[in-house]
Amino acid sequence: MAAPDEVQTPANDDYEPVEGLDQQTVQCVRACESEAAAKTASDYEHIVWAYGVIWSLFVIYGVFLWRRASRQSNEIEDLQRRLAGS
Amino acid sequence: MNKILPFAFLGAAGMIFPYSVQLIFLQTPIEQQMGTVQKIFYFHVPLAWIMMLLAVVCGVAAGIQLRRDSKRAEAISIAAAELVLVTGLGVLITGPIWGHATWGKPWTWDARQVSTGLLWLVFAAYVLVRHYGAAGSERLAAGLAIFGAIDVPVIYYAVKIWKTTHPSTDVAGSLPSSMWAALWPALIALLLTSLALLMIRVRQEMTDVALDEAWIGLEHDAASPNLAAATGDA
Amino acid sequence: MRDATLTLSGARRGPRATTNLGMVALRQAWLLAVNDLRQEARDLELVLTASFFTLVVLIMLGMSFSALGVSAQPLAVPGMLWLSVAFVGALTLSRIFNREREFDTLRAMLVAPVERVSIYLAKAFVTLVILLGCCCITVPGLALLFPAAQPFAERPLETVALVVMGCTAYAGVGTLFAAGLASSSGKNVLLSVILYPLTMPSLLFALVATRSLLEGHASFTTYLGQLTATNVLAFVVGAWLFEPVLVGVPQQRSARRASRRRR
Repeated sequence: MAAPDEVQTPANDDYEPVEGLDQQTVQCVRACESEAAAKTASDYEHIVWAYGVIWSLFVIYGVFLWRRASRQSNEIEDLQRRLAGS
Repeated sequence: MNKILPFAFLGAAGMIFPYSVQLIFLQTPIEQQMGTVQKIFYFHVPLAWIMMLLAVVCGVAAGIQLRRDSKRAEAISIAAAELVLVTGLGVLITGPIWGHATWGKPWTWDARQVSTGLLWLVFAAYVLVRHYGAAGSERLAAGLAIFGAIDVPVIYYAVKIWKTTHPSTDVAGSLPSSMWAALWPALIALLLTSLALLMIRVRQEMTDVALDEAWIGLEHDAASPNLAAATGDA
Repeated sequence: MRDATLTLSGARRGPRATTNLGMVALRQAWLLAVNDLRQEARDLELVLTASFFTLVVLIMLGMSFSALGVSAQPLAVPGMLWLSVAFVGALTLSRIFNREREFDTLRAMLVAPVERVSIYLAKAFVTLVILLGCCCITVPGLALLFPAAQPFAERPLETVALVVMGCTAYAGVGTLFAAGLASSSGKNVLLSVILYPLTMPSLLFALVATRSLLEGHASFTTYLGQLTATNVLAFVVGAWLFEPVLVGVPQQRSARRASRRRR
């Protein structure tokens, strides 16, 4: 980010550049911006993955529990039928 | 009451979760060093704490199981061990995702990564023994769980001296208070979820035991006193 | 085992026995261990199979890593040493209770008037002896195969201390779970499943200590001390858990429940 400093030291007196709008600075800022955007996009991708993994693990375990519960209730019905029969 | 509580917990977690997400993404400043990706921290770290907590719960419950031959303690230790596997897997997956973004490498053999992995292995062994062990192996598994819980600090220390050149991961502790404030709702949401799942699993295990007793009683003909309990639980 | 229990019950009734329980437990452990070792000396089954296995592992390690550069060797040799201990240990531990399982003598020992801790200590001691015997092959073998392992020969005292400490940790943890698996019927696969994750911390300490020994660091004694501390922890917890893990609820009920669950 050395570019703005260079701009602030004018070469001659009759021409005063608009600060931060010369080609070099603009390019530099654009490069920074696109890099930052790429970083943020990749960060968000990572975050979505991480959050997704956590909650899907819980959901998978929940499904596992639910399947167990339905198996149990089947077994209990079975037991009740056996009891009623005997 | 006991039946509604887990679902109440789940519902509460479901309400806290959106709040915590908006707190994390909209109210909390972006961390200077790591950038946006540091927001994984708010769920990764509480999950790791919960994993440790559940490991200790499993060990303590296993100790009570051995001491008093308590079926409830046994059920708690089984449920806690399974949840250690679930939360541990979450920690072990989100950690490398975070590491991939900040260090450029998913797995750096960092002390915390390795010790979490080892702890996870111990409890995976516990679940394997519970599942495939022969009769009488529940006490063996309990011994394993106690050893595992005691091993928590030992593992961490051993790995730390094994890998003395680990990258600095001391994020916690030097955080601004706003970041801590965003951590608590996430912790509560995760804790409530795990607690609810734990309670449901404990209930199932107790029902399983009662059912087994009932079947055994039935096989020995005549009505078993546990039968009413088993069918009432459904 | 029979003659041992007879002597032990005699020893327990003696006047000295009642005064100091700790000494009695140690004495009983010693008697049990001597008895086990005497039985072992009769056919040498365990010693011969374990040392042959060690030799095979050593040759495999030598063939796999003979091309390793000298700079990499100090990092690799500790791993080879403790991995071979881990392998041999699992083999030994699964065999050490076999005799008891075949004749169901473990239950007999448990009902005999012997301190349970003594059984644990005796078995751990026998395991340790066999592991050390195997290390007598591994350590000189590694020193021969790899130039970087020369410090094993140059500093024999430190090496012996290190090997004894590392093997003790392994035996302490392993005996508890091997016994537990022996009393429940079979399923020896589970032993390595349990053993490796649990012994990993002590093996890590041993690994670090070995590395600093090979590199001639002064930190060796510190690491050895830490290894000793984990040994003490392993033995205290092992001895404390031995009885509750082996003797618990009436066998019948849990056996029936387990058999039902499998259906």
